[in-house]
This record gives sequence, structure tokens and C-alpha cells, in this order.
Amino acid sequence: MNQHIYTLGVDVGSSLIKVVLMDYSDEPVILDKRTEKIRKRNPEMVSDLLIDQILIDHNLTFADIAYLASTGEGEMLERKLGHFYSMTTHARGGVFLCPGSLTVIDMGALFVRAIKINEAGKVLDYKMTGQCASGSGQFIENISRYLGLSIEEVGATSLKSKTPEVPSGICSVLAETDVINMVSRGISTPDIIKGIHLSIANKIIRLLTSLKAESPVVLTGGMAMNKGMIQAVQELIEESKLGLVIKADPDSIFAGAIGAALWGGFRYYKLNSTKD
Amino acid sequence: MDTPDVIIRKCEELAFDLNFTRAKEWKAQDASRVLVGNMPIYFPRELVHAANGLCVGILGGGDKKLIIKGDAYYQSYICHMPRSIVELVLDGHFEGFDGFIFPSICDVIRNLSGMFQLMGKGTFVKYLDYPQNFSASVSEDFYINELQYVLDQIYAINKVEVTAERLKNSIQLYNKNRSLITELYDIRQQFPWRLTAADVYHIVRAGYVIPVEEHNEILEAMIQHIQVDRGKPVDKIKVMVMGAFCEQPPVGLIKTIEMAGCYIIEDDFLLGARWVQGDIETTSGNPMHDLCMAYLEKSTFSSSVYDVNNPKENRLMELIKKRKVDGIIFAAPSFCDPALLDHPILQKACNDHHVRFISFLYSENTGQFKVIKEQVGTFSDSIKLWDEPVVINNL
Repeated sequence: MNQHIYTLGVDVGSSLIKVVLMDYSDEPVILDKRTEKIRKRNPEMVSDLLIDQILIDHNLTFADIAYLASTGEGEMLERKLGHFYSMTTHARGGVFLCPGSLTVIDMGALFVRAIKINEAGKVLDYKMTGQCASGSGQFIENISRYLGLSIEEVGATSLKSKTPEVPSGICSVLAETDVINMVSRGISTPDIIKGIHLSIANKIIRLLTSLKAESPVVLTGGMAMNKGMIQAVQELIEESKLGLVIKADPDSIFAGAIGAALWGGFRYYKLNSTKD
Repeated sequence: MDTPDVIIRKCEELAFDLNFTRAKEWKAQDASRVLVGNMPIYFPRELVHAANGLCVGILGGGDKKLIIKGDAYYQSYICHMPRSIVELVLDGHFEGFDGFIFPSICDVIRNLSGMFQLMGKGTFVKYLDYPQNFSASVSEDFYINELQYVLDQIYAINKVEVTAERLKNSIQLYNKNRSLITELYDIRQQFPWRLTAADVYHIVRAGYVIPVEEHNEILEAMIQHIQVDRGKPVDKIKVMVMGAFCEQPPVGLIKTIEMAGCYIIEDDFLLGARWVQGDIETTSGNPMHDLCMAYLEKSTFSSSVYDVNNPKENRLMELIKKRKVDGIIFAAPSFCDPALLDHPILQKACNDHHVRFISFLYSENTGQFKVIKEQVGTFSDSIKLWDEPVVINNL
């Protein structure tokens, strides 16, 4: 195959936009991947800026893109050709990053979702946390801000913990009150952060158990970049004797956008074969 | 001619004007004019038109009316629409209406007609029984008597005699109306991005509250606009939404389905406007007979109709074939007995013919669509990525 088939996957999250440019010609290859914080701007405008910048950097025009697929909250993108739901794209992205995975844990800013999949990335079943924000990446971001940490420092700080203090896992308001009490009681920042990670990991274990998850399990979404979070999940999996192998890729945060770009390429070929 | 956006905005205002301003203005122009409210699903509006009246569709308050008093009239296990209609009555929205027609579709509508009688609304309240036997020899006289009762009631108010010529003229106007709505749906089937399902909904619903002559002009203008391309095609599946024939879904729900990767190509939202399939004959010289035969021979199917010789599951499969949809969304109002009792039969037919479907419940004032969006979105993804096209061979 000589002609390049370029696809774009745009994952619009609640605080971050992820864009992946892919060459879907033979074996799909990621050509570029970028993130941009929304920072109270219009997500569509931020997405468009990112897309245009990627196109310029690769000497491409929008007409060269065979399929722009959005995911997450990206339905509003005017230039999209199709939209795929987060479960579908995280499942496909998870399998692309860690082939053979049979479970995906999408750890996003607003909720965590455990998805059972087959080897092709087809969603078979899923469980997700409720509306409460205490099981989400946004909660970690809020607490790190109270504690004077940047989000990038959270993982490493958590790994320094010796005696973690777990807050209430019931709701973010109670958990935040717990954290204030911990600070006043002189609990160290690493122990507070690790305690929060364990609290969220505990919810993930419950999801995996009720889903009857199968190994290997790939972590995706923003929280999958957090080494402290991964460590907490691994510890609780060992403790619970679920016997699951956890995998995370450095590009896990792009899983949704990768999945969108891959499914976009798939649809491009399917639609063109239907035309024939 | 107005632009498409202007027409759509105007229709949206008309469709959800719960004070029925345009209808009341129309009535005020001539002392012999009457307003007759009719509940879902179907009533031959031609009849009222011929008697110098305007049939006004009463479809509930949707998400535009806060229910306070209406809840006191119904138990918690009754659907939502009668509550909002009672609320509208008690708040005086139907002042100036001369009569009300309640087509026999379920016990709740029958009960509601009783409430209107107790509240003394309008000069007449008619619970209109439809023939359940579709043989003309059995049903024609009965149905004509039911319709004649309505005419007699209107005559008692305005003394306008309905001649054959007047009724024939009215039938022709509504034939045109049905034909234009069909054309709108046909264009959408091929080019669904030219007009959203919510736009179509507003345009058709506007016809429930304005004179048919004005609605025909709106439809003609809109059809002219969408003969040429507008909007941008998006990679979505085509679906049919079934179950919403009485209590109307909130427009937010219609928009949510289309945002979640689907084009709604066929629906039963405002089924009364499309009840008769094709034109009503006007050549027999007896237009009452023509109206009656149209009901007996050209009715569409619905959960409130029990035509044993023409099973609705087969008709649903025929419709899927005609509209070439990828799947069905069964969206029924909570506690809607007719729709919910039909679901197992219709869903079995879908399973037998490998038609993909999902189902969920709504209420006319549902305001949260996140779960529905997720459900419809994954349905759309699963069809786009894993399914072969639906092929229905033998029924």
C-alpha cells in the first residue's frame, strides 16, 4: 500500500485534550501525540488549535486526513467525521498499547471504569464508579493543590510513604475534611497522598471483583501516568489475591485518542468498501 | 421565503406555545370558528376543519410546565402526560377551547376524559371509540356514528353545516399535509444531516397548533430548502425510535440520541400527523365513507391498535426494510402500558430477524440524559464497529 491514510483521534476530557495523529496505511503507527490543558477555554477551540498545529508540523492539510474521530466529550467538534464512546476507544487503545489485555481500567478525571474486553478490543461488560468525585483523578488534583504539590509530583511523593493514612472513601467532601484533619494532626504529605491512592485503588479492586476481571489488566487515562496510583493498585491486588497482572504504558493517557484514531481508520476502510 | 433557521425557530416557538396563541388568534378572527383539542394519537382533523374549526393537538406540558397540582390527580404508577394536561387545564391554558376529543388508546386517556367532564371544560368532551375490527362491513357504521357525534357537537356551537364539498376540500388539504411530511421524512432518510430530528420534530409539531393551510406553506418552504445540501454528513448509524406515540419525549432526548452517534430516520413521535398512509380517496362522492375507509385500510400500526390480521411486529419489520435502518431504539414513557406490553413482541421479532435494538424509559419532563447518551453511544459504536448491515428477507 503506497498511499498514506492519516487519521486523527481527539479525546476531549474534562481538563485535558489529547490528540493523536496516526498513519493507518499498513500497520497503524502513531506519528504524533499531544496534550493541552483546557484552562477554562472553549474545548472545541483548544482542540482545533492542537489539530492545526499537528497538521502544520507534519506538512499536512485537513484534506489529507481520512477520518477525524472524536471521543470523550468531543461530540461538539465541528470537523469530526465520527464520534466514538470512551469505553469503545479506551478498549481499543488499551489493546493497541498492551496487546492481549482482557481488562481495561480507564482512570479518568471524573470516574473510574473497569471494562472487560476480548482480544480484538470489543467491549463485553463494564462497571464504573458512581457520581461521587472521591474516586477520580480530579479529586487527586484538588488534594495535591491543597497540599502545595503539582500534579506531576504526586506519584513520586506517594512512593515515599511509609505509613499511609487512608481517608474516608465515601465522598469527596468527607475525604477532603479527613485530609484537613490529617494535616492538622501532622501526618506527612507522602502518607496522605498514598492514603488517597489506596482509597481510590480500593474502589478499583471492588470494580474488578464485581466484573470478574481477567488478566492482563491495562490501565488507561490520566491517572495511569501516576506511578503512586499504579503502585497502590498493585499492592491491593496482591493483598486481595485476585491474581491479576497490571500493565501500564507511558502513552496510557492517550489510550482514548489512540482508540479513536484506530477506529476512525477502521471506519474509513469500511465506509469505502461499502461504497464499492 | 424565510431561511431554514427562521422557519425552524418559528416552528419551535409554535410547537411549544402552551398558551396556543396562534390557534386562539385564528379563532378570534371569525365568530363561527371553533377550537377542538385532541389528545394523541389520531383524530381525523379534516372533520373539524370542514366544520370551520381547528383541531389543536394536546400533547402535554413536556419539560416546559412545572407540575404541582397535576400530581394530586394521579397515582405514582401512572404516566406523566395526564398530570401535565391537568396542570394546563387548571392554569387556564385551554380557555377559549370549545371541545375536547379523547381517542380511545388506553385507560389513562379514558380517565382523563372523565376529569375534563367533571371540570366542565369546553362545550363537549368526547371519548372517541375506534373500531377494533378492521372489516368495513362490521365497523363502518359504528365509526361514522362516532365521527357524526363530533360533527353534531360542533354544529350545535357554530351552526356550520359540513357539506360533502367542504369535507372533500378539507381531506385534500390534509392529504397534501401528509404527503409533504412524508416527503420531509424521505429526504431525511437519504440526507439526514440536512435537517436534525429535533428540527423535523418542531416542524411537524407546529402543525398541531396552526391551520393546515399555514402548515402546508411551512412544509413546502422547508422541503424546498433541503432539496439542496446543507449541513455536513457525519459517520452515524441510522435508527428508528419506537414507543413514543403518546407522551412525547423531551426534545433534549431527541437531540441526545442524535448526538450519541445516531440519525433518527423514522419515529412514532407525532404519529397522528402521519397516521393515514398515503392519500385519502376523494372520488366516491361520500367523504365520510372515504375518511372511514382510510382509517380501516390505511392506518399505520401502533401499540394502541389491535389488528390481529396485520401483526404489528411484521409491520415493524417492513418499516425497517423500507427505511433501511441499522437498529431500533425502543423508547417508551414510564408506565405506558400499551408501549411496554408490546415491547416483548416487537423485541422478539427483532431477535428473530437479527435486528439490533436497545430500550429505555423516559418521561416527558426527563432532564438528565447522560446515562441514555452513554447507552445509545455504545449501541451506535457496537453497530458501527462490529455489525453487518441488517438484511430482512422473509417475514
